[in-house]
This record gives sequence, structure tokens and C-alpha cells, in this order.
Amino acid sequence: MTNVSLTRVLAFCTLLCISNYSFVMCSRELQTKVNMLLQDEEENPKCFLKGTVKIFCFWERGEDNGTTDPYTFRYTYEQEDTTVCPVEVLSSEGGRRLYSCENFQVIFYVPLYIEVLRDEQLIHNRTLFTDQIFLLDPPSNLTLNRTAKPGQLKVTWLPPYFIDNGLLYEISYSVTGSQKGKREEVRIKTDLLLQGLQPGVSYSVRARVRPQSSGFSGWWSAWTDPVSMEMPYETDPLILSMSIIISLILLLLSLTILLTHRRFLLKKLWPVIPSPEGKFPDLFSVYKGNFQEWMNHGNGGMRWIPAYYYTEEPVAPLEVLSEINRGPPLPSRMSAHTHRDPQAAGALGAQQQREEAVPEVDRGSPSAWSAVQHEAWMLERMRNLHPTPISQSSLLESHDVYVALNQSLPKPQDKEEAEERRDGGGSGQEDILEESVPLQTLFAGSGTRSSASHSDLGSLQQSSGRLSSQSSFEYPNQTWPPNGPSYTYMAVADSGVSVDYSPMSSGQLTKTERRPKPRVIYTNEYKNDLALIHKYKHWQLSGQPTDSAC
Amino acid sequence: MLRSFGLFTVLLMVLEWTSPGLPSPLWPICDLRALDHFIKKAQEAESAMRSCKEECSLAEPFTVPQPSVDFNAWRRKNAQQQAQEVQSGLWLLSQALRSLKSSISNTMLHSHIDNNLGNIISIGQVLRSLSLPEYSPSEAGPTVQDTWRVSSASALFQVHFNFLRGKVRLLISHAPICQQAIS
Repeated sequence: MTNVSLTRVLAFCTLLCISNYSFVMCSRELQTKVNMLLQDEEENPKCFLKGTVKIFCFWERGEDNGTTDPYTFRYTYEQEDTTVCPVEVLSSEGGRRLYSCENFQVIFYVPLYIEVLRDEQLIHNRTLFTDQIFLLDPPSNLTLNRTAKPGQLKVTWLPPYFIDNGLLYEISYSVTGSQKGKREEVRIKTDLLLQGLQPGVSYSVRARVRPQSSGFSGWWSAWTDPVSMEMPYETDPLILSMSIIISLILLLLSLTILLTHRRFLLKKLWPVIPSPEGKFPDLFSVYKGNFQEWMNHGNGGMRWIPAYYYTEEPVAPLEVLSEINRGPPLPSRMSAHTHRDPQAAGALGAQQQREEAVPEVDRGSPSAWSAVQHEAWMLERMRNLHPTPISQSSLLESHDVYVALNQSLPKPQDKEEAEERRDGGGSGQEDILEESVPLQTLFAGSGTRSSASHSDLGSLQQSSGRLSSQSSFEYPNQTWPPNGPSYTYMAVADSGVSVDYSPMSSGQLTKTERRPKPRVIYTNEYKNDLALIHKYKHWQLSGQPTDSAC
Repeated sequence: MLRSFGLFTVLLMVLEWTSPGLPSPLWPICDLRALDHFIKKAQEAESAMRSCKEECSLAEPFTVPQPSVDFNAWRRKNAQQQAQEVQSGLWLLSQALRSLKSSISNTMLHSHIDNNLGNIISIGQVLRSLSLPEYSPSEAGPTVQDTWRVSSASALFQVHFNFLRGKVRLLISHAPICQQAIS
């Protein structure tokens, strides 16, 4: 019984409701538009065009205590009769209750007067033009397509139904999940090329539309549902292949250059350090680098082979300078007593003693030693400056031809003594040997040995490794020019042993013997090879020092 | 003397024969900004006429073209029919504006009326540039099918305003020569 009465009450209420208002179940699109206008439009009733031929107007319920809603909606076009539209209840989100009148006739470019009455009382009225209230559906079929070029997307869509194609589209695209994005407007066309997209990033694209031409106006439509697409990591195959080919060509070129210039590069990168081990046999293996010891025990001392030295440096001339001997010109006469005539020994006793003392002093004085070298160099320079040096004849006239090794320049006292001797004997000029011709030696010579080059290993030992060459050539009228620091010369040490040589010829000997000065009689016949020397005024140092002729 | 006068007469006859009407612009005027300017001026005149109540009331209602547009009916008409409807409506509006000008004495309103009359002539030039068919109303008056009758100056300018932004704009924006230019 109770159930039957309850059912009757519910049925009555339903019929009552249906009789008054018809409830409109909003579609999703309509609900979206209503919500948009609730935010954007202030006037009531709010109206928009559904498509192009129907108008939809709605308004919110006022303070009516929630009972029945006796609303009346009527509209009037210019020069037309007034029409009443049936009001419907529109359910909306948020519990709002909306009333609407829809699907009434649309006339463009004519004013439309709208009135809303409740209980015959006007609560809303407005005048509007239907061509200004377009609220279109969003574009449909929004599609994203990749293009041939990377970083691009082509967006296409279909326009909503409208009077013509005069529509304005707005395309929004952003990284998926990001609020910030870019927007671009497109007029009339229904496609857009998005550029500058990053590979590997997913982009969301959406679109909306509004009328733009023909004098129509309205609101932006709702956004379409976003469409996402991830940009691929694409590389242009042409660029990739070209890059590989160019890389291979460069690699081959570099390899070719490396192989062809391998030696050059190796020499540049790791230059060969010359090892003296090959040049000095047994120096490092046997003598453990002790140069002095190696020289003492070497085969005849140092091997003066120029090719062993300065292999890497350019050939430079080296002069072996003879020493001017302004002092007593015949020190060797007394020193060479072993080959001297015993008869002459007594006559030269005192002088012999004095001259033998000279080398001793010189060897012990390094300053005097260097002074000798300088003066020898100056002598040679002066000789070069004056192309007519001492004539051969004058040299050949000298009676004593000798080589005095390690003999310094005469000291002032020695000079006086020499002058005295010269004045007394008058043999100054006569004692100049033909060997006093400058002994210019080129280091890079042919290596031929000259018999006139004499050195003594013993002198090397006594001079502590310093080499000096001093010959007793006399240049009475010449002075030694100072040598520069860059001037190269060779100083050859002598042994301090004077050697007397036999006269060059019997004629000269005879001439000498006629003189009143004490003459020297040599026991050893000296075969002078000065002729050979004169042939090679610039003879070259043969290399290996030879033992003294005596 | 007579000979030169004869030559001058022949020259005038040739010129008259070669250009019988007003010279038309060389290029079609598809830009709607000029029309929008005319529409704006019509709206301003309508607002000005609203302030004029008694003086601007008309003794006899004017016949004006119907501004409303039914798109379905409009699309069914061809270009010549659309052009004739627009040009006849402009002729009716110009006649009504001249009648209004003679009925009121307010100089400020006279300027609005003169301005809109000049705009109607300009719109005729624009339509001529679009190679639309010419329309010359007969002395008996245009054969406008849909007309309204207005009894106030504000109603007249409201019709003028809506007619311009409705039918005139639709005609110009959809002119074939302008569609070719867009595509």
C-alpha cells in the first residue's frame, strides 16, 4: 500500500516537471560554450549562434526561492513581429540552474530585441546583432604530420561550418606538459608548418577559430583537444653520407702525408742526437769518457781527422798562426843540441841557456800564452791586408829555418836582446825561414799530410790539453792585429823542443859562414821542403799531427 | 576659325564616345577597409540622430531597402541579382538622405548627411571597379522587392548602417574578381 502511494507521488512530480520545463541534457560542446560565455559575457541573457541559423540564449536563475520559474523569453527583429520562445531548463556544471531559449530564427544585419520576463516582470532585455555573436565549434580533425626536413611539423585541420571561409585560426603548440607555448595565427588556410622544433621532444598542438571576414564577429571557439607528437632524431642521410665521405678522404690524405714525410716528421719530432761514441773509439767503452786518458793512450794521441769533428757544422777555415819571433831568432839552434855540431856547442853556451829558459816561462804563463795567440792572429790578418808580404827571396835568404814550438812573444827585455842580437850579428833577416810563410790551414782540407806540419804529443801533455802552434817566423816590420772573438784559429801546442834545421842550400850556408856572427853548423842535413810549402801557401792541415822530423 | 572649331567638336565627340560614363579605377578595390570606414561613419550618424527627437521626426516615412539578409536566399541569387539589389538599395538610401537633408535645419546633422551621401557615391565607384553589372534605375523608381519604411532619421541611418555592413559588404567581399585575387 505504501509502495503504491510513493510511486504515484513520484509519477505526479515527474509529470509536473515535464509539463513546466523540459530539461536539456547538455552535450559536451554546448556545455563548453556555456561555460565560456559565463566567464566572458556580462550581459544577460547570453546569446550565441549555434552554427549559422540558430540562436541559443541562456540566463541564470535569479533569487526566486527555488520554486517554480515562470520565465518568459521573447524576441523581436526590426520591422518584424515579436515572437515568444519556450524556455527550457539547462542543467549545468556546479549545480547552476540555467534557462535557455534556442533554435529561433536568425536574421543578420537587423537589430534583435530580446526580453526576459518572470511573472510578467521584465528582468533582462538587450539589443544585439546576430552577426556579432558567433561562437563556432572548434576545428576538427587536427592532425600532425612529419615533414622531410627535421624539426618541422605540418598541422592540418578541418574548418567548422561557417557562412564562408573567412575564418581566423590560432594554433598553439608547446612542449607536452609545459604551460608555456607559442601561438600562430592563420587566416583562411587550414594548414600550418611548425618549424624550429627540437628533436626528441614531444609537442602538443591545439587550435581554435573565430570569424574574421565579411563583417562577422564573435568569440574564439573552444580549443581542440591537444594532439601530441614526438619529434624524431632524424639526420639527413645526404649530409650523413657526405660527412662520412669527407672524413674518409681527410683520413686518407693525412695517412698519405704521414707516410711520405715520415722521416722528415720523425726528424722534426725526435731529432737525432749525435753520439760522440763512434767518433772517439774506446773513449766511452774503455776509458769511460775520460778524454785526457783516452788521448794519452790513443794511437799516437788525438787523431786529427777533421771529419771526426764538427760533422754537423759548416766548414770553416782555421788558421794555424805562426808566431812572430822578435827576439833572438835562433832559440832552436841551441835547443837542438842533440843534432848540433859539437863544435858549435861551446860558442853558444850562454845563449842556449837563456833561450831554453824561455819556453819554461811561457808554458807556465797562460796570459802570455793567449797574448801570443792574439799576436799571431794579428800577424796573419796584416798579411792578408797587405797582399805583398815578405818576399820569398828575403825569406829564402834567412839562414836558419826552424820551427820553434810553444814560444811566446818576446817580452820587452827579450825584444831588446833581440835587437842587440840583430845589431850585433845582422842576421835578423837572414834567420827568417822560408817556413815563415803563413801556415794557413783549412780544417776541411783534403786530409793530406804535410810534412812541414810538426807537432809533438809531449807538448800537449805539458800544456794541459791546450794546443798551440807557434813557429818562429819573424816579421820584424809587422804587428799583430787583434783578433776578434769570432775569428777562428787553431792553436797548436808545441813541445818546447826547438829543432834546428840544416841550411837550405849550400850557397846559403856559404853565405852564412862568411858572416862574422857565430854561425851554426848543423850536423843533420835538413832537406828543406819549403819549395813544396811555397807551392801551397795555403796548405791545409792534414789532420794527424806528425812527429817531429827530428 | 570654323575649321578649328569643327576639329575640336570632333575631338570632343570621340572622347565622349570612348568614355561615356565616369572613369573607373584601373585596379579592383577589394580592400574592405574603405567600406569599414563608411560603415563607421553611418554608425556615428545614427548615434547623432538619436539625440534629435522632434526635429528629426519625418512627416512622411521614407522607403529604404531591407537590410536583413537570409543567407540561404542570398546564396541562391546570382551576382547580377545581388548587385542589382545592392545598387537599388543604395539609390533608395541616397534619395531618403536627400529628403532628410531638406527636412531638417541642423547644420551639424547636415554634415553627417552630406558625409554619408558622399560615401554612397564612393561605394558606387568601388562596385564599378569590381566590374559588377551597372544598374540605372528607371524614372519610375527602382524595382526593389524588399523595402522598409522608416519614420525617423535614426531609423534611416540604422538601416543605412546595416545595409552597408550587410549586403554591400557581402557583395564586395564575395565579388568574383576579389576571390581570384585572394586565390
